[in-house]
Amino acid sequence: MADGLVVGPASWHSRTVIASVAFRNFKALRDAHVALTPFNLIIGPNGSGKTSLIEALLRLRTLSRLPPAEAAGPAKKAGAPEMIFRFSPPHEHIEARLGCVSEFVCDLLQINVPAADAGWLEVKARLACIRSFLFDHYAMAASANRADGAGLSTNAANLAAVLVRWSEGEAPAFAGLQAEFCRLAPEFTGLEFRPAGEGRVELAAILDGGGAVTAENLSQGVLYLLALLALAFAPRPPSVVCIEELDRGLHPRMLREARDILYRLSHPSAFGLKRAPVQVIATTHSPYLLDLFKDHPEEVVIAQKNGRTAHFERLADRADLRELIAEGSLGDLWFSGIFGGVPEEK
Amino acid sequence: MKVAILSESPADEAALRVLIEAVLGGPVHRVQHALRARGWPSVAQVLPGVIRHLHFNTDADGLVVVVDSDDSVVHTPEHDAPGRFHSECRLCRLRSIFRQTVKHLPPARGRAHVLRGVGMCVPAIEAWYLCGRDERVTEGAWAEGLRTGVLPYTRNELKWRVYGTDRPSLPLEIRCALAEVKRHQRDPRRLENDFPGSFGPLAHDLREWRKKNS
Repeated sequence: MADGLVVGPASWHSRTVIASVAFRNFKALRDAHVALTPFNLIIGPNGSGKTSLIEALLRLRTLSRLPPAEAAGPAKKAGAPEMIFRFSPPHEHIEARLGCVSEFVCDLLQINVPAADAGWLEVKARLACIRSFLFDHYAMAASANRADGAGLSTNAANLAAVLVRWSEGEAPAFAGLQAEFCRLAPEFTGLEFRPAGEGRVELAAILDGGGAVTAENLSQGVLYLLALLALAFAPRPPSVVCIEELDRGLHPRMLREARDILYRLSHPSAFGLKRAPVQVIATTHSPYLLDLFKDHPEEVVIAQKNGRTAHFERLADRADLRELIAEGSLGDLWFSGIFGGVPEEK
Repeated sequence: MKVAILSESPADEAALRVLIEAVLGGPVHRVQHALRARGWPSVAQVLPGVIRHLHFNTDADGLVVVVDSDDSVVHTPEHDAPGRFHSECRLCRLRSIFRQTVKHLPPARGRAHVLRGVGMCVPAIEAWYLCGRDERVTEGAWAEGLRTGVLPYTRNELKWRVYGTDRPSLPLEIRCALAEVKRHQRDPRRLENDFPGSFGPLAHDLREWRKKNS
């Protein structure tokens, strides 16, 4: 502990929605548990449960909208998949159990408090705002229906509609996004929108020196960057944001910016923002992105796959981490296999 | 002078430029903008290639490379004794890489080799930024912490002191870095005094450049 130096916030728990998830017999996650912080970078080989974690949160979101099942409901089949969610203070006493008939049908949500419990209602409201994203640059490049601009869709296909809506009614958010976009992509000086017929709108980036590049001609990386910014600058962001393959399409030198864009969500006070933090869960296969977490290994979760089962480990729990990173970057150490989280070889 | 800077981020580069100019006593012309390394040990891996490139393909007079010591050994005057080399000292290792690389290069572009400017922030560049603002942040305090096992501060705590957060955005980092190094713009001797084994060697290298060019 520092001698009188200013340190960070006392507890991150109070700023998160979901404190932990435990899995029983859910896909490869036969007996796994993960504690979640405000920002979580999940690394691991294919099939190690990274996406399953996100799926679990989405199932919880869906089922939490419905009345919970009776505690003394139908007897659960032995060995059936189950997920147990716990929440952050002041709701740490609430537990939500998601029971499944099979790996694909999970439709039984039980909670340990009455359905009308004020705490559960608060948690439920936040669960309803969980969002998951896997950006699709082909979809983003197409024009969007102006009426679909309420919130960014899973693949960001409605990016143009979201941004045109901001430009017309959310001026500060749009100005912030545009300024950040121009900083990150200095060949551009702004964004513009063009009617594309039948109530549709097309996005274009204005070039420094004149002219514009329409979305269909923008690079994959620039479109992904715009989608990330649309999340980070949203006037009313979700409670939890899950992003698959955060590094996709981005130059390695842009990864720090991608991380910082998401830090804007998870740690708004670091950006001078006075709003509730958004819990972020991002997956990656990029060692370069992992390198950026040297000072915050507690934000890295390694999905470990052993045969047909998988479990989660926090990088910061590794006792010799300090010695290891003295002579190697996190990304190289991960690739070497000593952290685990790599594909198995026969 | 024409100077290349190999650093971890644009913020480090901006601050280093100010400090280099402070020691050299005048503006420098930057060659090969935005040379980047991904921290230790990546910087040691790319350094031979960077030196070779600058030597043959640019008219750079010198290369400045600065790394963080993190928790590694602090450079001391004993390491500078003739024939001495501390294998765990990052500064010694960078100097050695420099020496080994330029030794085999033939003269090019009218100079024998690219001049060396090596520094090591102890434990991170934010400590340099706090020099003159926080008496407790010095190389000596850190070295004593390494010796006793009770570190006076962590890298993240230094970030809080400089940026008000341990997750600064790049624009914030650049703003704060430039604001802090302004204190040393006219006279970097305080920085040299408080960080004798980290900023000191860099200042020494740069003064050698000045002598060679005078």
